Amino acid sequence: MKLILSDHSLSLPPEQEDIRYIDLSGLKIANCVGCFGCWTKTPGRCVIRDDATRVYPLIAQSDQLLYVSRIFCGSYDVPMKTMLERAIPIQQAFIRIHHGETHHVQRQVVPKKAVIVGYGASSPQEEALFRQLIARNTYNMAMEETEVICCEESQVEAIVKERVEAWKN
Amino acid sequence: MEKLMILNGSPRAPRSNSKEYAAIFAEACSLPTETFAITPKNHLELCSRMEGFSQLLLVFPLYADGIPVPLLSFLKTLAAHPPKKKPVISVLINCGFIEWQQNRLAVEMVKLFCTQQGYVFGSALMIGSGEAILKTPFRFLAERGIRKLAASIQRHQYRTFHTTMPLPKKLFIRASTNYWLAMGEKNGVSKEQMETMKIE
Ligand SMILES: Cc1cc2nc3c(=O)[nH]c(=O)nc-3n(C[C@H](O)[C@H](O)[C@H](O)COP(=O)(O)O)c2cc1C
Repeated sequence: MKLILSDHSLSLPPEQEDIRYIDLSGLKIANCVGCFGCWTKTPGRCVIRDDATRVYPLIAQSDQLLYVSRIFCGSYDVPMKTMLERAIPIQQAFIRIHHGETHHVQRQVVPKKAVIVGYGASSPQEEALFRQLIARNTYNMAMEETEVICCEESQVEAIVKERVEAWKN
Repeated sequence: MEKLMILNGSPRAPRSNSKEYAAIFAEACSLPTETFAITPKNHLELCSRMEGFSQLLLVFPLYADGIPVPLLSFLKTLAAHPPKKKPVISVLINCGFIEWQQNRLAVEMVKLFCTQQGYVFGSALMIGSGEAILKTPFRFLAERGIRKLAASIQRHQYRTFHTTMPLPKKLFIRASTNYWLAMGEKNGVSKEQMETMKIE
């Protein structure tokens, strides 16, 4: 399965069966409160029963991801960061060594190729920081291959369309 | 007269490790300090309160390799509502994993905020194994790091410090496994249940 997760609505080519598109701006997602219930109370399930509980299973099942987010402070801006923090139920509490560092064991999470489109960086330093963040995410988020595209907000649609077309072929 | 504002940016501020780190800092620091937790509703109040402080210390955990959402949102509000006199911003960050280095990016993000918004960045302390260290005999290492952080801010000799539990990774993993198992047991959840591969 392929998943497009965007922080704003995009007009995309007609939906295809194996492509899911989620516009985070239309969902109700609270921020993670760090209770670790998803590891030690109801393993694999977040105790906050809002829209995030429909999204993290899709993240886990996808082998191709396309994330679209505004960049703030070299980070994903709040909407995307909120969703990614809420995705920790897809990991276990238990820790292993991965790429020489300690990281959590993943549950049923398909290894991923990810394209991350970050828009609105205000300087080359900010863009560089965002790229480093994605490089770090690869270890915690089962991303085997990543491509980071930094662009202007006005370029996002065209870039996403091109990627979706490439998926179809 | 210098005054230091401590902001707790943990999503679980009232019962967070950050709260304890902040309390150790306040104790170690000779400047008058006041501590506040960031909540979704008090951003504007915190921005205006900042007016009276020459130093700001952000205490927060690493979340998904970066700044946790409550602090990230607050920084957006602060960017839009800056105090007239901007304090020097320092960081006390802790992460769950043993490598203190995993905190580096989040510190860089705060530095970038300072550059973009015209604040001076002060000192930083990065703590690895931050979920555990205070409950172990290595607590003194965290306390020592915090004392150094406080001294550097007081003297305006800004520096970056780090600490973690001096354990081989395998031993750290064994200890953390026991920690999580005990937490599961308290909730009546077994190891097998915690290891489920099912999501939702
Ligand atoms: C949603 C979430 C994401 C986290 N991400 C990371 C991470 O990327 N790296 C890490 O070392 N620890 C991570 N942690 C662990 C916290 O940093 C650690 O538990 C810390 O001690 C929490 O501090 P606090 O009690 O002050 O909130 C994460 C915890 C949560 C709940």
